[in-house]
Amino acid sequence: MTGGAGNLWSNRLRTDFRAALAVVALLAVVPLFVQAPYTLGILVVSIYFALLALGWNLIAGFTGQFSLAPAAFAMLGAYATALLDFPLKAPLALGIPAAIVATALLGFALGRIVLRLKGPYVALTTLSFAEIARVVVYNSNAFTRGDQGLNVPSLMQSRVGYYYLFVAVLGATLVLLYLLMRGRAGRFWLAIRDDEIGAESRGINVVRYKTIAFALSCAICGLAGSLYGTFSQLVSPELGLLSQTGLVIAMVVIGGMGTLTGPVLGALLVYLASEWLREFGGIQLIVFSLAVIVFARFFRAGLWGIVARR
Amino acid sequence: MLALDLLVNGLVFGLFYALMAVGLAMIFGVLKVVNFAHGEFYMVGAYTYVLVATRLGVPPWLALPMAAVAGAALGALVERLLMRPLYAGYGSWSIMKDEYAVVVTFGLSLLLINVVDKVVGPYPFRGPPLIETSRFALGPVMMNGQKLIAAGISIALLTGLALFIKRSLWGRQIQAVAQNRLGASLAGIDATRTTALIFAISGLLAALAGALLAPLINPSPDVGAFPAIKSYVIVVLGGMGSIWGAMVAALLLGVLESFFAVYVSYDYRDAFGLLILILVLIFRPQGLAGEKGREV
Repeated sequence: MTGGAGNLWSNRLRTDFRAALAVVALLAVVPLFVQAPYTLGILVVSIYFALLALGWNLIAGFTGQFSLAPAAFAMLGAYATALLDFPLKAPLALGIPAAIVATALLGFALGRIVLRLKGPYVALTTLSFAEIARVVVYNSNAFTRGDQGLNVPSLMQSRVGYYYLFVAVLGATLVLLYLLMRGRAGRFWLAIRDDEIGAESRGINVVRYKTIAFALSCAICGLAGSLYGTFSQLVSPELGLLSQTGLVIAMVVIGGMGTLTGPVLGALLVYLASEWLREFGGIQLIVFSLAVIVFARFFRAGLWGIVARR
Repeated sequence: MLALDLLVNGLVFGLFYALMAVGLAMIFGVLKVVNFAHGEFYMVGAYTYVLVATRLGVPPWLALPMAAVAGAALGALVERLLMRPLYAGYGSWSIMKDEYAVVVTFGLSLLLINVVDKVVGPYPFRGPPLIETSRFALGPVMMNGQKLIAAGISIALLTGLALFIKRSLWGRQIQAVAQNRLGASLAGIDATRTTALIFAISGLLAALAGALLAPLINPSPDVGAFPAIKSYVIVVLGGMGSIWGAMVAALLLGVLESFFAVYVSYDYRDAFGLLILILVLIFRPQGLAGEKGREV
């Protein structure tokens, strides 16, 4: 990656990163104008989705491996924290990092098996994994209380405090992703996405880099789920529904896949729109699944891609 | 004779799985993509059968072919509107092949589930059985009339499909396109029409599976999720794209699940499929059919 093409990409990445930080900065000033707990609550949930979208974008948009389990890993992260709290009485200071480690390890193990293979195995296996993980959580009444869910203590009382926590985690995730994408790993991931066999023939350990991307992606989702659990103080199998994964995919595809700004923008846009559409009788998922098909078919760059190209 | 009972019931469920899985395998064989809306073909079949029979008062035996037509039409429509860019020579499309197919079919699956949820309602429906019987003993095996008839129809359909693929001109065209799309079209085969045919057939089979099971499972909008996941396990187990592999793997999974549910754990019976999937991916990723996986 020397010469013109490489520089072009790093320029684009820097612009993209700055735009994403601008969005985070905008989010950070919101509480100066609006303190209504309801509005901040909605924004916290959109940031939760922005984290999932960034996590999914890392494996799908940057590495080209289409996992269908982001929501399932959010659910597992949330349960890791909840289960450490409930029978074991571990503090959240332990429970939240544990969620990151647990989902990263699980992602690594699953990735190790699936990512050795080329072709559609990733999507197939992660979809099966997601649905079955949800059913197992649902049926393991003795530990998880099934669909009643588990209660989780809250990290803090203040709504504004929670809001800033989520904004900070979003900012930190963006910085981490930017540093990774700017470095060696990011170049390798893009090479794998664009031409897996070519990347392999140039000596990249394709399986290792795909697995690292997947484990990281799962860890981001796990952290998001764990934080969301402490925010809503209830963890239920509903977090892992396939329709949640569908929302995450909609956010990334509409916002712009393979960028940093796109998933964040898409998450805010889609979640706020879905709150607004709620008034029209639960047609959100119809609208967004239709939008996904239309965008994937006709506007593959997504909204941010269309804007950035200008 | 619990074991025999489990074996027969497992085989019956395996037949239903096979109806789903062969369509998925055929689509994979020809386009090398996975249709994530396959469970919704099944759902549409089940709903068409139930709604036509209960709301319009059509006799169940007529509602069944209507469900088949609905499934075939949906399959053909999906191919025409969403799948054609995969191979109709739109230049750069081929680069994003897998990605495009995953996103679009997954989006379609959500769309169909939510449209049905909104239009028909989220509550499960019960379909009228094709024949009114209670459970009866068939030798040492407990059976019920609907299941027996559905199994019979499934056997007929699968045999018909096998003969169609092996013997008929269209079937041979399907084999040719699956082996080499370009070669087939050079030999004068209309690969586009053949692909449309494959989608129509797999929509038809999945819809019939849904319709045949509608009296037993009480369809709700998300009813297709687990049959679809079972089909994914089956196509991997059978060898992606192999029809014969899919048929054998479907029967195998049906039987294994039926024993697992009784001897190991009923609550986790659906998780067993994932275990099989992971074991296959570790030890025999090419599936049962092995190198033959490249054939239809």
